[in-house]
Amino acid sequence: MSTDIWLGWTYFILCALFALVGALATISSANPIRGAMGLLMMILSIAGLYLSLHAQFLAAIQLIVYAGAIVVLFLFVIMLLGPSAQAPSDSRARFPRAIGAGLFLLLGAGVVSWLVMLGQHISKETARLAAAGTWKPATVPSDFGGIDAFGKELFTKTLVPFELSSALLLVAVIGAIAVARSKHGDGAEKALPTAAALTEATPKEEASV
Amino acid sequence: MFATYGPMFLLLTVAALIALLFYTGATVLGPKNPTPDKMKPYECGSESSGGNHLKLSVKFYLTAILFVVFDIEAVFIYPWAVHFKTLGWTGLISMFSFLAVVIVALVYCVKKGALEWEK
Amino acid sequence: MNLFFALSPFLTLALGALLLMVAEAAAAGNGRGEKVRPGLALGAALTCFASCAAAAGVWFYGVERIEGLDVLQPWLIIDRFTLFFAGLLALGGGLASLLAGGYLPEHQIERGEFYALLLFSTLGALILAAAGDVLTLFLGLETMSLGVYALTAFRRASPRSAEAALKYFLLGSFAAALLLFGFALLYGATGHTDLAGLGQAVKTIASGALSGQAAGPTTLGAAAGPLVLFGFILVLAGLVFKVSAVPFHMWTPDAYEGAPTPATSFMAVAVKAGAFAVLLRVLLVCFGDKQSTSWANGWPAVIAWIAVLTMTVANLVAGRQESAKRMLAYSSIAHAGYLLVGVVATSRDGTAGTSGILFYLLGYTVATIGAFGGLILAGHRGAEAVSFEDLAGLGRRHPAAALPFALFLLSLAGVPPTAGFFGKWFILKAAMEGGFSVLTVVAFLNSVLGAYYYLKVLVYLYMREPGAGAPIATPMKSGYVNVALAVSAFFVVLIGLDPSRSLSVATRAAASLFGG
Repeated sequence: MSTDIWLGWTYFILCALFALVGALATISSANPIRGAMGLLMMILSIAGLYLSLHAQFLAAIQLIVYAGAIVVLFLFVIMLLGPSAQAPSDSRARFPRAIGAGLFLLLGAGVVSWLVMLGQHISKETARLAAAGTWKPATVPSDFGGIDAFGKELFTKTLVPFELSSALLLVAVIGAIAVARSKHGDGAEKALPTAAALTEATPKEEASV
Repeated sequence: MFATYGPMFLLLTVAALIALLFYTGATVLGPKNPTPDKMKPYECGSESSGGNHLKLSVKFYLTAILFVVFDIEAVFIYPWAVHFKTLGWTGLISMFSFLAVVIVALVYCVKKGALEWEK
Repeated sequence: MNLFFALSPFLTLALGALLLMVAEAAAAGNGRGEKVRPGLALGAALTCFASCAAAAGVWFYGVERIEGLDVLQPWLIIDRFTLFFAGLLALGGGLASLLAGGYLPEHQIERGEFYALLLFSTLGALILAAAGDVLTLFLGLETMSLGVYALTAFRRASPRSAEAALKYFLLGSFAAALLLFGFALLYGATGHTDLAGLGQAVKTIASGALSGQAAGPTTLGAAAGPLVLFGFILVLAGLVFKVSAVPFHMWTPDAYEGAPTPATSFMAVAVKAGAFAVLLRVLLVCFGDKQSTSWANGWPAVIAWIAVLTMTVANLVAGRQESAKRMLAYSSIAHAGYLLVGVVATSRDGTAGTSGILFYLLGYTVATIGAFGGLILAGHRGAEAVSFEDLAGLGRRHPAAALPFALFLLSLAGVPPTAGFFGKWFILKAAMEGGFSVLTVVAFLNSVLGAYYYLKVLVYLYMREPGAGAPIATPMKSGYVNVALAVSAFFVVLIGLDPSRSLSVATRAAASLFGG
């Protein structure tokens, strides 16, 4: 194995490992702020993976939008909830949940083993086709993944989805204003009900709102 | 890949090394004399109060999510600016119709008072 | 220019919504002490109806005659199928905004954002129905869904509304993620994101799998088969969530009950119709070639099981509800089940099955809007009619309010001279002629079972009196709601009296999906 391939593998495995550790930290830590930090770690590692695919513009966007803005938004929401963001330990339905987790793990293991088999199959198939001369590795244009190629693609081929995305962003803005803006006395504090209020609410009370 | 991004990785490594150097240097070389008062969380020299979780107002959320949305819109403008000349009128019109929607969103935000810091 | 004409249903809606937003923002002044202009609901409704009229205009001009639509390829497909759904969805959105024009001021939750969200959700549903590529499909789906999530949470002071919106949002995002993951797998297996190319590649892979050769378009070879299958299952799960069929229906009753009633009616009508449009397109365009596919042969069977489960569970649970609004939520699940029977029927005779579905959706849209409108009309400020008890005796005290309500319920139940009856008839006929006799019988038995809970409302309306001390419902007065009810009633009766004309429209729309 040449040094370049070996370095590439090391880089990939490091990034993937960090991404996995970050994802596990996100879902397993009881402290939501630690969870958000795990998410940040995962996002950064995935940006690294994008880089290894030569998608440098995507990697930069990943850093700007996800690591920069989305994680901050997550932290804001966690801070919004205050100390109650810490989830109390929930001992209800422990047995079904364990079964669910077990089934999911089993499914995950099955998918992973299938993917490994698929990978072996693909490399065998590729080798066979390459030996027969019917397959060549795809050549990537030299500017692939850069802002140049991305812009050309975005503003020529994918113009329609680009224009449509403005509607999506607009809906996000209106939705945020509709849900989170505090006005008319029914203010921010009431917009986020406590758990007690949720359990107390009945259809009859609702009717009087 | 490493040929292309080599300088960037080099920069990252050097930055990490310098940070590590300062941190370990301060820990190893600096004289230490801990007292209970010194070990308390530092809060601008005054007595620290309250828990470490403070409750923010929902106003922060609105500002943050509006920031995210406009941030994403800004992302689209970079590649457009790169190709501004080659795209010609089509590019100009398509970007301006996109921006028109964004501007309506902005006007809506301002007029609705979503960007105001209410009390 | 041709392009703008072909896109006029979309552009009308988008421009109208933007203008309304600007007008509302200008009227809001500096953002303090704002009063919502009463014309906003009217403007929103007119925008939707204009979009509906634009769709009709393009339809009658003949979309085949319009040239220069290649620019849109493969992102948006403008054909009669799309135009039918554009008209239907815009009609649903317009009627829902009329309902909102009466409901929101009455219950003092009127804020201008409601109409903007409603219009852009409708636009998202239109994009969804026209989508010819996974990218536009997802954009349309999310535009529609984000708007509806916000509409569900619109009544901010109510914990129920917040809970409903949270459930809907989390589950909906999860379903969207499943859908996207499924499409990612399909892209990995075929190298296509456009539905037509995807369909071609799936066909190649499937025929290769059948003949035992590695004929896939990529080096995956025979391994592409399982990848496509796995992707297909995920895509189907995501779409079935959106139409709220049974294994993925859990969010429906809560979200429908927690949302303000006009938003509920919009969810029941436009979200469902948009999801069915995309379900039909994905199934028939990407996975339509059932003769050559050994494993894809499975989807009619899978959908048949989902349909049977959906109808049975929804009808059984709907009969046990205390709340009429929740009952209508379960009823909308049951209707998804009947529509899925039609989807199964498309596997034999595509045009007959699809036209049955389109006809059914037409009748379902107006009857559902009408039923929720009747529920809105039965309550007034501070006393929204929600439960069956609230409706007791309404028919004697206020016959004018109860009569249209009864008509829409009869249509939903499928009683003969209404639109609902013919919808069920065409779907069952297509299923029967397709050879799915067991499924037809199950669907028929279910519609008999379903009649029970609609009749229960009628019993409360006309044969019960409110209990002693119980609050007596007095109907609200609103021109907007009255107009919406009148339009819906007109369509229910018209389609019921002259089903052949609507059916021929539905058939032409369905035929365009098969290149006819």
